[in-house]
Amino acid sequence: MSNVDSAGSGLAIVGWAVTSPFGIGRSVFSEGLAAGRSTERAIEQGQGPAGTACLVPEFDSRAVLGKKGTRMMNRVTGMAVSTMGDLLREVSGHRLDPDTTGLVLGTTVGSAQSTIDFTRGSLTGERPFHVEPGLIPYAVMNGAAGQCAIWHGVKGPNATLAAGRSAGLLALNYARRLLLTGRAGTVLCGAAEEYSVARAWISERSAGNDAPGAVLGEGCAMFALTAEPTDEPPLATLLAVKAMTCSDGDWYATIRRCIEQTVAAAGVQPCDVWMASPSGAAGAAGQAERAALGDLFEVGDRLVSITELVGETHAASGALQLAAVLGLAERNPESAQRLAVVTSTDESGTVAVCLLRLS
Amino acid sequence: MAVVTPDEKQLIKGIVCDILELESDEITDDSLFVEDHDADSMRLIEILSSLELNLKVTIEQSELSRMVNLQGVYEVVGNTAR
Repeated sequence: MSNVDSAGSGLAIVGWAVTSPFGIGRSVFSEGLAAGRSTERAIEQGQGPAGTACLVPEFDSRAVLGKKGTRMMNRVTGMAVSTMGDLLREVSGHRLDPDTTGLVLGTTVGSAQSTIDFTRGSLTGERPFHVEPGLIPYAVMNGAAGQCAIWHGVKGPNATLAAGRSAGLLALNYARRLLLTGRAGTVLCGAAEEYSVARAWISERSAGNDAPGAVLGEGCAMFALTAEPTDEPPLATLLAVKAMTCSDGDWYATIRRCIEQTVAAAGVQPCDVWMASPSGAAGAAGQAERAALGDLFEVGDRLVSITELVGETHAASGALQLAAVLGLAERNPESAQRLAVVTSTDESGTVAVCLLRLS
Repeated sequence: MAVVTPDEKQLIKGIVCDILELESDEITDDSLFVEDHDADSMRLIEILSSLELNLKVTIEQSELSRMVNLQGVYEVVGNTAR
């Protein structure tokens, strides 16, 4: 077991934006969650083995972003660029300095579809080098983060963090480090995952026996974190993020220890945690996550699980969970100054926990 | 010197317009890809590669310096061994 990081002073979350199977934007997301509306829909024949998925409705990069610079843009990049645009519009009052604004994006492998399309082109073309060069920027893992920065003119540190389901929370931790070490003044941080035929088949073929046939979802959520003083009170304060590795199969022990250390690092009491969001992972990890949250906290019906509504969103899951917590807290006047915990598990063994104070 | 047929010109123009994200009436034989149409080096490589794929020709990368507009592309393609 290894520790990644502990807490420091809190960092302000001054804005967020989301693109989800409920649609583009915060209000449809929060309303859909509050209503408990499932987004699972039948997909077209040949679009994946499962027959259903939770897709961002009618999302098309060219329709959302325009025809310039989007010809070869894949879905995950389109969602990330578009969501970041929404985020930048929301925090426009903070007058971000492009030179000190960083960007951290969580992913699984970038776009499995673009990578496979590129490789297939090389194998099936007349010559191995007869590939589509326009795919290259998107077939690499950091294509989306790079395009976000180019599109929006963000010139600070640019990081892509590939960590499967833990990516969203680990990206937050990476953003914390950039801010606490003074490498950036503000960090735009989040995670994105696209639905594609390639991802659907990878998911189908790699599913463990204890977690068969998850309904896949997609989406992107992004947050603006800053260490600089803000004129207005923040939407929430990130108090601590921690990650551990479960190497012995005892998910419950690792998750519980990770949560306890996160709470202790922030110097708060478990009884003060008011809302929690487990990742909703299938199988033993997900069950252990719910059990640990139930044993440690008294959150009642404020246990926010989004996987049943938006599907298995892999890299985007942690970011969408955080967005869900912020979105639901926004609608609840009792949330002021309360604490919320978001947890995540990945089949590779990573356990990640973040703790925030709502405003 | 070999020449490109009107059909080939049409195909080449279609490829260039697609890659530069232009409508066919926005480009002329003389308008410059980089200066007039905001192309970068990546777009130029895409044009070269797409011509190779679609016209079944091989174009040396050194020819990129002549492929600054449609006229230049017609000349380069016309000179390739086919």
